[in-house]
Amino acid sequence: MKTWTTTALALIAATGLAAPASAVDLEFYFPVAVGGDAAGIIERLTQDYMDENPGVTIDAIYTGSYADTTTRAITAARGGNPPHLAILLSVDMFAMIDEDIVEPWDPYLTEQEIEEWIGGFYPAFLRNSQFEGQTWGIPFQRSTPVMYWNKEAFEAAGLDPERPPETWDEMVEMGRTLTVRDEAGNVTQWGVRIPSSGFPSWLFTGLVASAGQDGLASDDGTEVFFDTPEVLEALEYLVSLSTEHGIMQPGIIDWGATPRAFMDGESAIAWTTTGNLANIRANAPFEFGVAMLPANVRRGAPTGGGNFYLFSGHSEEETRAAIDFVKWATAPEQAARWSIETGYVAPRPDTWETEAMRAYAAEVPGAVVARDQLEFAVPELATWEGPRITQILNDNIQAAIVGDKTPAQALADAQREADAILAAYR
Amino acid sequence: MSTLAHHEGPFDRALFVAGAWTLAIVWLLPLAYAAWTAIHPPAFVARFELFAPLTAENFVRAWNAAPFGRYYINTILLVTMILAAQLVLCTLAAFAFARLEFPGRNVLFALVLMQLMVMPDILIVRNYATMSALGLLDTILAIGLPYFASGFAIFLLRQTFKTVPRELDEAARVEGCSLLGVLWRVYVPLARPTILAFGLVSVSHHWNNFIWPLIVTSSVNTRPLTVGLSIFATTDSGVEWSVINAATLITSGPLLIGFLLFQRQFIQNFMRAGIK
Repeated sequence: MKTWTTTALALIAATGLAAPASAVDLEFYFPVAVGGDAAGIIERLTQDYMDENPGVTIDAIYTGSYADTTTRAITAARGGNPPHLAILLSVDMFAMIDEDIVEPWDPYLTEQEIEEWIGGFYPAFLRNSQFEGQTWGIPFQRSTPVMYWNKEAFEAAGLDPERPPETWDEMVEMGRTLTVRDEAGNVTQWGVRIPSSGFPSWLFTGLVASAGQDGLASDDGTEVFFDTPEVLEALEYLVSLSTEHGIMQPGIIDWGATPRAFMDGESAIAWTTTGNLANIRANAPFEFGVAMLPANVRRGAPTGGGNFYLFSGHSEEETRAAIDFVKWATAPEQAARWSIETGYVAPRPDTWETEAMRAYAAEVPGAVVARDQLEFAVPELATWEGPRITQILNDNIQAAIVGDKTPAQALADAQREADAILAAYR
Repeated sequence: MSTLAHHEGPFDRALFVAGAWTLAIVWLLPLAYAAWTAIHPPAFVARFELFAPLTAENFVRAWNAAPFGRYYINTILLVTMILAAQLVLCTLAAFAFARLEFPGRNVLFALVLMQLMVMPDILIVRNYATMSALGLLDTILAIGLPYFASGFAIFLLRQTFKTVPRELDEAARVEGCSLLGVLWRVYVPLARPTILAFGLVSVSHHWNNFIWPLIVTSSVNTRPLTVGLSIFATTDSGVEWSVINAATLITSGPLLIGFLLFQRQFIQNFMRAGIK
């Protein structure tokens, strides 16, 4: 049917007859990074929008993981067929600007819209979305890490099940009490689990923030701060959890297996994303709590997840239609639905005032923790040549965890390697 | 094989059997784990109890998470189309390179060999632009087209055709066989083991191919199984092993069963074709 309409329209246009001015076809790429029916939810969202706006057709195309979506967006744009919109990692902003395939949103918005719409997002989310005074990404699919704790394990260890650790020292102290060994000395339950496979730099940014440093890179993405005393303190703390205190499993801890390990009681405390809330709520066989990451000199956590990007190479009419869709999708009712169904953090304060969101917050107090933590959030590591810089930091964090390098050596190496790459952008 | 068996002592034999078993178990373990997690509730993914409750729910959830029925049809269409096109094109090309004299033959063959050295992934942008120019975006043909003229198949078949005795070729021609008749009646039957071996490699490769189909297609009607499988790789929220393994078994099942049914033929053909 759709192909028919498209062909018919193309024919009308080709023969010089006026096509209806309101007919706009938009392409929109989206990745799926959480479990559940995220793909189905996006398709229902776009369908609802089309029902309300009969002149617009949105083709929502599932494009794999974030990395796959980025690959596809770049490929399609270079192949002369860019989408109108795509949800890509917020930290990919510099890469997209570098590729010269995206546009800032501001030129299409009135001053009032910039103030009310752009200004209405949580500042913590906008910090990874703006560059040189322009907005390049609209926060949508955003998350932040939180700490899950097993109330039954706390009770069994003689701790107050309603009081999670508030500080680094408390986490070590409680972790000692929570680590259970059998008669042969093998650990049957670890105190803490901070996964370090894949992208350890993300959770590590939370430690760095708690140690008092505002993120790992400058806002313009040309400087990284890997070898400061704060970052060193954070890495030494992370390494000491297994080497000195014996409360965390030694070696690299798998990210993907973390929710399962927590639910199986392998660890009494686990750090992972709010994106796991729905999964753990549905499957944990015990009472659990959700808390902010523990503080050292201050509280802190990174933000993560994806933004809407606007691709260049389209007519103004189409671009405006795409912007209208994003405005609709981030409006309170829609954003609330999206947040409740996926577990992503609603990116605007006004979303939390909807009735649906209030009911959800009352039922799932964990969701509110993520929102309240935004006040202390710092940006996720984002720089020019982002994937390479992040990889350098990841490799060096892992080298310190497995003991190949001392924390100081690892961070000095990471700083040196990153500087060599970023020098070209200064 | 038989000469080797002649000289081996009991020690060699024991070593051989132990090695074979070790390799077989190493190969089988992930599969066994996938089967275990797929038929048990998620609580048992890391706990192995003999009488854990069985469930088919993982399969139901996996099947309902994506239009796998349609994806199956697409994948089967895709691998059949690619294999058919490869066999026709590459048999003809290999025959020309093996037996015909024509100007530029060596240069052309060198170009074909160069294709073997280029990683397909770096051609994605170029291929996408070509498909876009041909107006083939979002079709099954677009997924397969870049793979039709397989350098590997041409090389493999050319080497096989070169081992066919000239006398057979000449005898057929004396009997009045045309050029294509010779190819069809003499060369192709003798290269059957190679063709089967290549067919297996080709089918399993395209059955598993992911990134190119993901990039060049957009709709349910053109996308293959691997794209359906990928929605379970949810990096943000951790991996649900029981569902992902059920989905893996669903998507790789037909290939596995096919291989188990025909394994004797495949192995024999591989031995004869000299690919191990």
